[in-house]
Amino acid sequence: MKLALILAGATLLAGIVVAQNTQYKPDPKWVAPADAAAKKNPLAGNADALGGGKKLFLRHCAECHNGDGTGLQDAANLTLPDVQKQSDGSIFWKVTNGNMKVGMPPFARLSETERWQIVSFVRTLKADSSGTGK
Amino acid sequence: MKSIVIPALLSLLFFLPAQVVRAQEAPYFVTYDHHLEEPRNLEIGTSATVGTPGAGQSAFFAPYMELEYGVKAWWTSELYLEGQSTVGDSGVFTGWRLENRFRVLSREHRINPVLYLEYENINEASHIFKEIVGNTGDADEPVAELSKTRAHELETKLILSSDIHSWNFAENFIVEKNLSENEGFEFGYAVGFYRPLATMASAKQCRLCRENFAAGLEMYGGLGSTLGFGLHNTTHYLAPVIAWQLSDNASLHFAPAVRLTDVGSPVLFRIGYSYEVRGFGRKVARLFGGKG
Repeated sequence: MKLALILAGATLLAGIVVAQNTQYKPDPKWVAPADAAAKKNPLAGNADALGGGKKLFLRHCAECHNGDGTGLQDAANLTLPDVQKQSDGSIFWKVTNGNMKVGMPPFARLSETERWQIVSFVRTLKADSSGTGK
Repeated sequence: MKSIVIPALLSLLFFLPAQVVRAQEAPYFVTYDHHLEEPRNLEIGTSATVGTPGAGQSAFFAPYMELEYGVKAWWTSELYLEGQSTVGDSGVFTGWRLENRFRVLSREHRINPVLYLEYENINEASHIFKEIVGNTGDADEPVAELSKTRAHELETKLILSSDIHSWNFAENFIVEKNLSENEGFEFGYAVGFYRPLATMASAKQCRLCRENFAAGLEMYGGLGSTLGFGLHNTTHYLAPVIAWQLSDNASLHFAPAVRLTDVGSPVLFRIGYSYEVRGFGRKVARLFGGKG
């Protein structure tokens, strides 16, 4: 029992230390394939879907990207033009696949519809007026 | 006394009031899919396996607690503490397990492999049936006797999993080696599929909406060992599975597993509750002066 607690504690602490990214760095290689980027959002303009997208964003994304999308230390500021200029298909692909190198988990366990709902909500996030982001 | 207190505490944890559940969590109890814990999140789960008595057997209650942590987006680690109590017999702490799951491919594919490695320090009284491997042994001895036989085991799994149009299909191939006894390498399998009952999230917060439920089916059993591979004297179960997301952080799972063969408990009732602490690693790092 004692050994179990020691092992568990050591694993947990090691995991926490290993898991810390202290600064967000965009990954230039994290680019959606052309066919994925060209996909259109089937829920574009659907107000009901947008409300659900907000709920999903707050549940799954806000922990790292903040409720307003401005991002915490190691996650992207989704209000920046660099993000907003990407196509719906590209954002959908990034939500689906994640970028495990930098700690962004894939959200393929959400249904396709729910991922498009998140894309719809990301589109509503206001651009950062300072243009600096985080 | 100590042997009764630990299962009792695990049982108490199991019945703690629920606050919330994580959406879209797989309802499986035995089968693993390729979706790992989100980085820095800690999931605390309490579950129990209740076995109905077969011929010459007694009913049992086997609670266990899980602590699952997302170390990285591609690595999840989990600790189990387990106990067991048999009707008309005694209750004991049956041991602990430490498992790790690693995603092999960085992106979603038609089939997504995950490697699973677990060390188990349990005793022969363990009845949580997190997996079923090898052949079915004779376990009609008193719990106190069974608990004297410790088993140090290594278990590996190849997890293959696919998401197709809101359905998840998962297949697990299991190899287990008891380091304490010469039982050869034991084999087992688990397969399952599930789907959320609704695929679009509504704007309102609701508990009984269809989107908060997922249902499916899983099947698992032993495949013998290197000392005798095959289905002879093995146990197999078929179980409908259902998960209910109670809130953003909590979920409730239930599965009655029906035995398909002649050996083992005729029915296993499984129930589990899990609560997710989001950003746990970040919060702990801040406690120690990190930037979080």
